[in-house]
Amino acid sequence: MKESKVLTQRVGKYEPLDIKAYQALDGLNGLRRALAMAPELVIEQIRQSGLTGRGGAGFPTGLKWASAAQEKQEPKYFICNADEGELGTFKDKVLLDGDPWAVLEGILIAAYAIGAEQAYIYIKGEYEKTAKLWEKLVGEAEKAGLLGEGILGSEFSVSLQVVRGKGPYIAGEEFALISSLETRRAMSKLKPPYPTEKGLFGKPTVVNNVETIANVPVILAYGVEEYRRLGIEEDPGTRLFSLSGDVKKPGVYELEMGSGTLKELINELGQGTAAGQLIKAVQPGGGTSAFLGRASIGCGLTTQAIRKAGSGIGTAAVIVYEEGKSAIDIVKGLLEFYGAESCGRCVPCRIGVVKMKEIVDTLSCGNGTEQDLTRLRQIGKACVAASTCGMGQAFPLPVLSALELFPEDFEAVVQKVPA
Amino acid sequence: MKEFKPQTYQNLLKSTGGVTRENLFSFLGKVQGAFGYVPREVVCDLAIRTGLSEARIYGALTSYVDFKVKVEAGG
Repeated sequence: MKESKVLTQRVGKYEPLDIKAYQALDGLNGLRRALAMAPELVIEQIRQSGLTGRGGAGFPTGLKWASAAQEKQEPKYFICNADEGELGTFKDKVLLDGDPWAVLEGILIAAYAIGAEQAYIYIKGEYEKTAKLWEKLVGEAEKAGLLGEGILGSEFSVSLQVVRGKGPYIAGEEFALISSLETRRAMSKLKPPYPTEKGLFGKPTVVNNVETIANVPVILAYGVEEYRRLGIEEDPGTRLFSLSGDVKKPGVYELEMGSGTLKELINELGQGTAAGQLIKAVQPGGGTSAFLGRASIGCGLTTQAIRKAGSGIGTAAVIVYEEGKSAIDIVKGLLEFYGAESCGRCVPCRIGVVKMKEIVDTLSCGNGTEQDLTRLRQIGKACVAASTCGMGQAFPLPVLSALELFPEDFEAVVQKVPA
Repeated sequence: MKEFKPQTYQNLLKSTGGVTRENLFSFLGKVQGAFGYVPREVVCDLAIRTGLSEARIYGALTSYVDFKVKVEAGG
């Protein structure tokens, strides 16, 4: 299995603030091409490229841009979502720190395409160094004529605001991020209307993940045909896989879609499990994705194949768990995190996560009963069905899949005769 | 412990080039960074500048773990 460095081709090759070095490495070609085209044509290129969101939901990027572009309301906003909070995900940081100009180039192209004059980049609070780098980068970009009035001699103007997140996990969700930028509590909302119709301050807004936006200059610079040679028909391009957990060599690996299997990623690039034990389970798409058991890790690294195996590609954060860990301990850790992070807006998530955590706590103390397992399943399914946003719909998935895959771990601690 | 200095706040305002609803959130982050908390005087002033109520700004501030509205011991 080999890495294909497309988005990460320049990472570590230049001083992050040096625009000249970036240009010497073929930077800004995408932006120049885009500015020579009509905005509708740029959107059409992105649509044809088949690019989908890399932040977890996998929505087609071209479609999102087109629906914001057709809105009559002004002004429009573009937001780059750099609040990567999903457990096990650290891929965006590599791009933000290692090739920031490419991300900026993507932001400019996106703003041009949808007709936004104000763009934001919302950087996770914990990424303090990254935020400082970006604050300096904005100054450099203004000096180089890449931000402000008449960018690169065109009639297109945009300004960029660097915003530092202030803690909550949920702020990575589109509407919660928008609320946060409006100086409100970070909370999700019922959809529709989608942000592309009524987003920031009620105006049409596009929110894209960092990795998604880093694909944009590549598509424009190389052309749709060349881009689509990467990956497979249904899943063009590459993805940054954040490999973590019980592996010898965790890290971010850029792979062409469909270029291998989950097992190869773990055993070849990750050099196998940390203590040399067999793999117990893998979460292929971050902390809210369902577990895959050892039998399923031969599945290909494509959206379809991972879905067919019973999970989701999400943010492509592959978390590996070795044998020797109880599934109860694993889900307990996950529920502790999500329990603290539920925004509280909708009942199923707010109450469900606490109830599920209580049940798992009871189980892990050895005081649980068969009835508790049934309740755990019921509440989990209710949250998936009735929650407003992606978090509430997804956090029960690892728990539900653990109950399916490792019933013995749960049965072992359940009291057979109720006290 | 950092204390609130009106002059520092004025400088922050000047370097930001004015505060509106569009950049209030990131400006509050700068205030938090400068003083270690968001002082009441600042909330009053920003409420007037942005036309939002103080309650609205406090409502947001107190919902984020990284914002403080009081001087914290050792902070």
